[in-house]
Amino acid sequence: MIKIKNIIFILTMVGNFICFSQDDLLAELESEAEYTSYELPAFKTMTIVNLQSTKIAAKKEFYFFVSHRFGSVKDGFETLFGLDNANTKIQFVYSFFEGVQFSLSRESWRQTYSGSVKYNIVKQSSEFGLNLVGFHIANINAEINEDLFPELETSDRWSFAHQLLISRRFSEKFSFQLAPTYIRENLQDLRAVAEANYNQFALGGGGRFKLSKRISINADYVYNFSRDGNNIYNNPLSIGVDIETGGHVFQILFSNAQSTNEPGFISNAGGDWSEGDIFFGFNIVRVF
Amino acid sequence: MKNILLLGILLIAYTVKAQKYFTKTGFTEFKASVEAFEPVEAKNNSTTVILDTENGEIASLLFIKAFNFRVALMQEHFNENYMDSNEHPKATFKGKLLDFNYKSIENSKTFKLQGVLTIKGKPKTIDTTATLSKNGENLILESNFNVSPSDFDIEIPNVVRKKIAETVDVNLSYELVKKS
Repeated sequence: MIKIKNIIFILTMVGNFICFSQDDLLAELESEAEYTSYELPAFKTMTIVNLQSTKIAAKKEFYFFVSHRFGSVKDGFETLFGLDNANTKIQFVYSFFEGVQFSLSRESWRQTYSGSVKYNIVKQSSEFGLNLVGFHIANINAEINEDLFPELETSDRWSFAHQLLISRRFSEKFSFQLAPTYIRENLQDLRAVAEANYNQFALGGGGRFKLSKRISINADYVYNFSRDGNNIYNNPLSIGVDIETGGHVFQILFSNAQSTNEPGFISNAGGDWSEGDIFFGFNIVRVF
Repeated sequence: MKNILLLGILLIAYTVKAQKYFTKTGFTEFKASVEAFEPVEAKNNSTTVILDTENGEIASLLFIKAFNFRVALMQEHFNENYMDSNEHPKATFKGKLLDFNYKSIENSKTFKLQGVLTIKGKPKTIDTTATLSKNGENLILESNFNVSPSDFDIEIPNVVRKKIAETVDVNLSYELVKKS
């Protein structure tokens, strides 16, 4: 009996000892530590190329944008490949609350003033695999007047776009986004669009591929479902390169749309890639 | 008699195992600011730390993405361009308070702290001091040390080199609660 007791005694001690030596402190922490990790933003700046991205200014961040589209490359030497007839947009973006940004801008294309709001719905995290963002913009066309349109009413100057932006950062290098879009255009110039479509539905898609930590190739395309066959406008395809240098992002791009606003580039892209009728341009983003 | 002895030894063994202090909300901050430029510093309020008061062994772990910067864009660049936080989400420390004796701490006492800090998968030996003080039932551990971005193969491009200090001050303050 004594022997057996001794054996049990020794076994228990050994058992305890093993327990103790296995007790790696760091391993113990690994099992305790938990953290809902949000994915890094899918895009570097607020636009992929022309299309809005899911990126939103952080609270109290102030962004200044200059978006420039030269005239059509097709014009050749006459305009020095589009140096004349350029479109410039100046835009201010500010965030008063976390996850919501407001913007005011003015672009020379149709002398458009616009205001927009973009807000975060869900952020991609270890819990949920997508970024969901809402975007709404209202534009006033200040160019048109009674000489051009004798029956012009103030409401004709307005156009609106509403988008749901759905993006995912698939990997370190690759992000993709879909953008179901509803457009309201109060003015329909029947010489250009053939048939009036005040309400339009479109689907945008865009992505980025990072070549290095600070350089990426971006592209976006929007298909407009509500366009008449005789409409002179095309679906916009834009391809660009993003270069980030700390507080600045430079986007150098080609697009068949000269406007940089929604619905400007979505509904009224005048250029055509197949005819070389495209616009060279850049966006410069500075954060303060 | 033997039974009592056995029970006694078991109990002792058990209490030895249970002498641990722990937190999930430890405060770790680093400062890499250069005067005249935007401050480069961040705070982490979710550091997990465990201290074995029997032998002075200590381990801690934090998530790189949980460092909060005042400027959100700086935080994004920190994670994306410098720390590769998706690839290396955690930083860990494993070390020992030398000549540690729990009973010797009356109000507060400073010990030598040695260990290995691992960031981006690169280990670096840390040799510093840590002060332990009692706050009721809890133990407060405070320490600081310096590291350099190059210790962990963190590349800093020429454009921003002047704006980021070559030595980074790390401060930590952990209020550890007895682990049941």
